[in-house]
Amino acid sequence: MKLGFSKAEEDFRAECADWLDGQMAGEFSDIKGITTLTAKAERRKEWEQQLAAHKWSCIGWPEKWGGRGATLAQQVIFAEEYARAGVPGRVNHIGIELAGPTILTFGTEEQKARFLPDIAAGKTIFCQGFSEPNAGSDLASVRTKARLEGDEWVVNGQKIWTSLAHISDWIFVIARSEEGSQGPKGLTFLMMEIDQPGIDIRPIEQINGDAEFNETFFTDARCAADSLIGAPGEGWKIAMGLLAFERGVSTLGQQMGFRNELDEIIAAARANGSASDPLIRQRLAKAEIGLHLMRYGALRMLSNSDHSKVDGAALTYKIQWASWRRSLGELAMDVLGQAGEIGTGPDYEWDTLPNLFLYSRADTIYGGTNQIQRNMIAERALGMPREPRGVA
Amino acid sequence: MEFLLNEDRLALAETVRDYLAGTHGPDVLRRLDAGDNRDPAIWQGLVNMGLTGLLVPEEFGGLGLGFVDAALIARECGRACLAEPLVDTAFVAVPWLLSQGDTAQMAAIVSGTAKPSVAHRINPWVSDGDGAALDSIDPLRNLTRPVGTSSSDPLLLDLGALMSAAQLVGLAEAMLDQSAAYAKIRTQFGQPIGAFQAVKHQLATAAVAIEFAKPVVWRAAQALSDGLVSAPVHISHAKVAASDAAIQMAETAIQVHGAMGYTYEVDLHFWMKRSWALSGAWGSRAFHLKRIDDAVIGGGLEIGPDQTFA
Repeated sequence: MKLGFSKAEEDFRAECADWLDGQMAGEFSDIKGITTLTAKAERRKEWEQQLAAHKWSCIGWPEKWGGRGATLAQQVIFAEEYARAGVPGRVNHIGIELAGPTILTFGTEEQKARFLPDIAAGKTIFCQGFSEPNAGSDLASVRTKARLEGDEWVVNGQKIWTSLAHISDWIFVIARSEEGSQGPKGLTFLMMEIDQPGIDIRPIEQINGDAEFNETFFTDARCAADSLIGAPGEGWKIAMGLLAFERGVSTLGQQMGFRNELDEIIAAARANGSASDPLIRQRLAKAEIGLHLMRYGALRMLSNSDHSKVDGAALTYKIQWASWRRSLGELAMDVLGQAGEIGTGPDYEWDTLPNLFLYSRADTIYGGTNQIQRNMIAERALGMPREPRGVA
Repeated sequence: MEFLLNEDRLALAETVRDYLAGTHGPDVLRRLDAGDNRDPAIWQGLVNMGLTGLLVPEEFGGLGLGFVDAALIARECGRACLAEPLVDTAFVAVPWLLSQGDTAQMAAIVSGTAKPSVAHRINPWVSDGDGAALDSIDPLRNLTRPVGTSSSDPLLLDLGALMSAAQLVGLAEAMLDQSAAYAKIRTQFGQPIGAFQAVKHQLATAAVAIEFAKPVVWRAAQALSDGLVSAPVHISHAKVAASDAAIQMAETAIQVHGAMGYTYEVDLHFWMKRSWALSGAWGSRAFHLKRIDDAVIGGGLEIGPDQTFA
């Protein structure tokens, strides 16, 4: 057991910090500290290109495709420094963390050459078309249809919760390509250009007034016959591979952002005197412990050489951080007391802590609810019998 | 021994529940939120039922009823997510003004033309006041900065905390109803999600918390009516129990609704936001727990088997 990062890794950390801090103090100071996904979208697209110009866009990718071939530890270090420096979230998160790795793993050489350089360069923003109104937790019941017509796929149906679809260029979808198929069989993974008459995007307003996600309607929407990843009917396999990326590396560096949030709550508790309350003190202590648990969990996953293998410990990661952060939001409101009720900015531009509270209401839902996570832990890691399926 | 609520009291509260259910549904909340949050016709309806004068003595044209009645109706205001400042004016400001011997506005309150709200040091912002407007997490609360000084009278704090607790009970009950209804109609994996223990047990757990918050709130209202020395402790107990039940219910509700519960499109958010707002109002959870532990450990409250339940 070797704790901590090596000298070379710490040097790399300093290099990341230096560049990111420089950007946030300089040309991109206007986007520093933004916590919503939608604010200043155009500037943040420019930020994607700035990252690319300095080869910080997708450091884990091979150099051939615009990356640095960085180790997992380096990727985590970069993600940590990114959060620490107050850089806003990536508007091309889906492209960099999900679409890119999926194409790298399952795509053809031709597809890699066609998509990866533009994703890396921040020129192609991707969004994700998985969930449907009646296929959320039960993702395999998607009904959106795809049929091959000449040299094109023709897609009809509806997707929902498509984050940032309104500023994206491409969307990947899973659609039912085998008539009459059910569940995970007969699905195909397609990549479609958004700017076409058959795709209609309507924003969904959130409880905090923001609208980062959308409903996306497909009416005879089209893409070329070779726009699929894998073979027809292999969509579920590709989608599950992609979700493993979502649950894996891309969240390992997030504790630094969480550290910032907890520090802000501690500062607020000191400032308003609630830090002298024993109950608040204990909850702050528990939050601190939870943050360290998460850190050790991440380091343990980092040390595991085969990251494609989802072991029992990895299955526990999402529910732990999501529950921790949901509680953190409630702690923030209890520390603020009545002041937590009041916003000082227009609309959803709440002060950081009430905003954290509102955003953290979704943590235990997206990417698989806590209930789905528990089922996965029980069924996959503990080998419990699968939950019986209804017949309705 | 009588630990059940009187039939007449319940009948009045039921009348208010039916009235609000018929006139103040989610469509009204959306219409109000799209405008300036207030509708004189809704206020007039409450006035016509005599609710603004519920606690006003009969000599000033009111109904002269008590805190238990007011708490039961405050619960209905929570259940309907009532936007108008009825509770702040009629159930908090009125009894406090009366306690100060200030009867000047009583006739105007009964007739609905005056809507005073009073600020407390612990709860500095008032509903629908004349001061500068504030932006609440609850889109239907028109909070304002107080004009003039804030009171530090413990009775005012007790009134505000008690009536918040009663509203939180109603809010939690409404969220439970909405969530249970949704769990019956939303299907995933070939069955209603309420068929999964992971979902139904969450709702049952929240229902237990709500059921055990209710008698605490009614007990506190009775204690205030009876002028018990221990009333502030009962009220703190009520505020903590009702806030905890409502916060737990909101968390459960959004979990049961899934991502839909995070949208403006589903009605749930109005009730969640009111719950989040009222949980912090009129003394935080920590404040009220401290009042209880001060009383228990500090000797302000008689303890021991012969005293605790006396």
